[in-house]
Amino acid sequence: MIEHELNLLTNFLVVGALLFGIGLIGFLTRRNMIIMFLSAEMMLQGVSVSLVAWGRYFNDLDGQILVIFIIAVAACEAALALALILMLFQRRGNLDIALWHDLRESNLPPYVDHELPEIPPYQSGPWPTLTPAGRRPDLPQQETDYRSHV
Amino acid sequence: MFSIPTLLVLVPALPLAATLATAALGKKVLREQSHWPAVAGIGLSFLAALLLLFQVRAAVAQADAGPVRIGYEEVVRLWTWANVEGAGGMEPGSPGPSPPRQIALMDFAVEVALRADPLTAVMLVTVTFVSFLVAVYSIGYMHEDPGYWRFFAYIALFVFSMTMLVSVSNFLMLYIFWEAVGLCSYLLIGFWYQKPEAAAAGKKAFLVNRIGDFGFALGVFLIWTTYGTLNFHDTIHDTGLTTMGVLGQSRLAEPGLFVAGGIATAICLLLLLGACGKSAQFPLHVWLPDAMEGPTPVSALIHAATMVTAGIYMIARCAPLFHASGDAFQAVALIGGFTALLASAIAVTQTDLKRILAYSTISQLGYMFLGLGAGTLPGITAGMFHLFTHAFFKALLFLGAGSVMHAMGGVIDIRRFGGLRHRMPTTHWTFLIGCLALAAFPGFSGFFSKDEILVALHENSLDGPSPALYHILYLAASATAFLTAFYTFRAFILTFYGPERIPHEAGDHAHESPNSMTLPLVILAIFSAFVGAWFFFTHGFSEFLAHTPSLAYPAMHTEEAAHAPSVHAGVMVASALVAVAGIGLAWLLYLRWPKTVDRLTAAMDAVGLYRLSFGKFYIDQAYHVLVVRPLAGLAWASYWFDRYVVDGLVDLIGLAPRGAGAVLRSLQSGMVQFYALAMVLGVLVLIVALLV
Repeated sequence: MIEHELNLLTNFLVVGALLFGIGLIGFLTRRNMIIMFLSAEMMLQGVSVSLVAWGRYFNDLDGQILVIFIIAVAACEAALALALILMLFQRRGNLDIALWHDLRESNLPPYVDHELPEIPPYQSGPWPTLTPAGRRPDLPQQETDYRSHV
Repeated sequence: MFSIPTLLVLVPALPLAATLATAALGKKVLREQSHWPAVAGIGLSFLAALLLLFQVRAAVAQADAGPVRIGYEEVVRLWTWANVEGAGGMEPGSPGPSPPRQIALMDFAVEVALRADPLTAVMLVTVTFVSFLVAVYSIGYMHEDPGYWRFFAYIALFVFSMTMLVSVSNFLMLYIFWEAVGLCSYLLIGFWYQKPEAAAAGKKAFLVNRIGDFGFALGVFLIWTTYGTLNFHDTIHDTGLTTMGVLGQSRLAEPGLFVAGGIATAICLLLLLGACGKSAQFPLHVWLPDAMEGPTPVSALIHAATMVTAGIYMIARCAPLFHASGDAFQAVALIGGFTALLASAIAVTQTDLKRILAYSTISQLGYMFLGLGAGTLPGITAGMFHLFTHAFFKALLFLGAGSVMHAMGGVIDIRRFGGLRHRMPTTHWTFLIGCLALAAFPGFSGFFSKDEILVALHENSLDGPSPALYHILYLAASATAFLTAFYTFRAFILTFYGPERIPHEAGDHAHESPNSMTLPLVILAIFSAFVGAWFFFTHGFSEFLAHTPSLAYPAMHTEEAAHAPSVHAGVMVASALVAVAGIGLAWLLYLRWPKTVDRLTAAMDAVGLYRLSFGKFYIDQAYHVLVVRPLAGLAWASYWFDRYVVDGLVDLIGLAPRGAGAVLRSLQSGMVQFYALAMVLGVLVLIVALLV
């Protein structure tokens, strides 16, 4: 019985470690902000899996309670992070994290990635049109221009 | 009406209150009326001191009838400032305490205590009286000065310090107020601080005094280690044990309780160094002539009448210590005699009226040291008597000089004015009386006090420990008296007689000074004329002073049968002749044969004497080369070492983090993933460290 539990724990921990490792490698190597964010989430889930496993192994609910909290926090974080990513995308028209290095020392040269292919700036493409519902409000010209990019 | 303790507290408290009032209200509220607190405070303080003097007199008379005590003293303990129990241990068998009293001796107790005894009472009256007149005089003299209120605040502060100095009953407190009068002196000399000479003179006075103060401080330390207490008076503890004060009744009563030998001489010489600084004796006399840069009332108050007498007071107070040492009195006399002669030789050729008076002050202080240095009761009381009379006539002379300076528009060079007797009749007459007193003309106060000193020296030269020394000193004192008479009247005649000459700076200002200035002159002149004769013929002064515990103890009286002042007809006639001869020579040279003066000067200059005297024996220059330059060099070297070696090392250490920062700064690329990688690596390092 105990051996069975131990094996189960080991399996879970291996899965958790794999999740964490894949997430870590993804976070460090991928430059798309959304992928990086997903990787971070994956690391979080890896930790959650191991917490649940330990909780079960010790026959203790604390691990699972903690995971519930982690999920709640991760949901909030996801909302925030996605909003931020959206903001950043609107600034540069690109999701590449390497475009953002404003926090470097003032006397260091900006990072220039030569291998990165020149991506044409984001063009305002065809946006899905929604069926008009009700009356369109009167917006100022500036606002309408801005909205058209959203 | 007022008891002795109340009066003792009132005398210093009133000037202190005046200082605080003037300092707080002077600039904004009192303005042109700033003199009122100081004048009222010092005046009331004088009245309190006078009442105190009469009460002490009455108490002395009672003490004579009562049980046997060593002189008369009353100690008023206000509070204990510091009490460190078991601060110092006495080696068994040390000569300080007698065995049964040893227990309470270990405490380092500084009592804020004031004492009333004849010496203190006389000093208090002298100081407050002269200060009061000077304060009144200053109302006229300092009129319209931008620092009017500041001046009176300083004056009152000075009177507070000086009255405390003469009435405290503890060496540490004495030292504190010793420093306080030094500070006031610095503030007042440098009163016109925008004038570079005045600022430099203030600094010089302070620094030269520091040398003396350093000696004094060492002397106080040595007294503590030797006697185990710093109080003058005995302290009776609740347990019934007595801590013997350094100059307390119980120590004075029994012979042999004062430490003798080398350590006593060391104490006395250190105290003497302190006295030399404060009383401007050779080799520390150089600050006093420069101190004439201050306002003239300050010169009169501090540098003639009161502050410089602190050294004399201190030596008189510590007379038993000097007596126990044996040789120390001779050192006092030697310094006094040498200084007296040196200063009078310099004064003969000076051309600045105030400087002549400054050198005469040094010379007269030397006279007082001579009197103290005689070491006998008549000698010490004569020194104090000379201090007393000198305070009047020197204050008078300085205030007179100030009056002349006031009228001459700030010119004080006696070559540039003359024949002022018609323009300034009151100043002329009062100055004449001051000069006669200073020159020791028979009948004037200086004559009697100087005569007593000469008699004391003469007696020591007849039968004393070292007759030859005292005989030489007696001759030196006589020579000084001759020179004093000569240079005093040289200055007087050049100022007030001869053809009338008025410098252009005076403008239409060359007239007699206002009443607030001439009134103190008249009062001081009356005192200068009569105070000496009064006390000489009544013997009141020396008999009264002899009841001071320090001067009343038995060892003081063994050498002479009684302390009745002796009158030596021979000495008196000789000193009178010397004074008259000096005055006569000055009169002949400067009024009758002015041509001879030039020829005489040229003849003296040929052998270098004139130049030597005019250059003040080049002592300032010698100090500059021997002391100031090497010290300045040392200071410069220290500055260089500190700036480049010590600071350099510190800067080097300061550079290390900056250098490390410069290297690590290149890691701050601003790339998010690089930071993440750094975190991962850090975690890895931690894991490895945990596993290994």
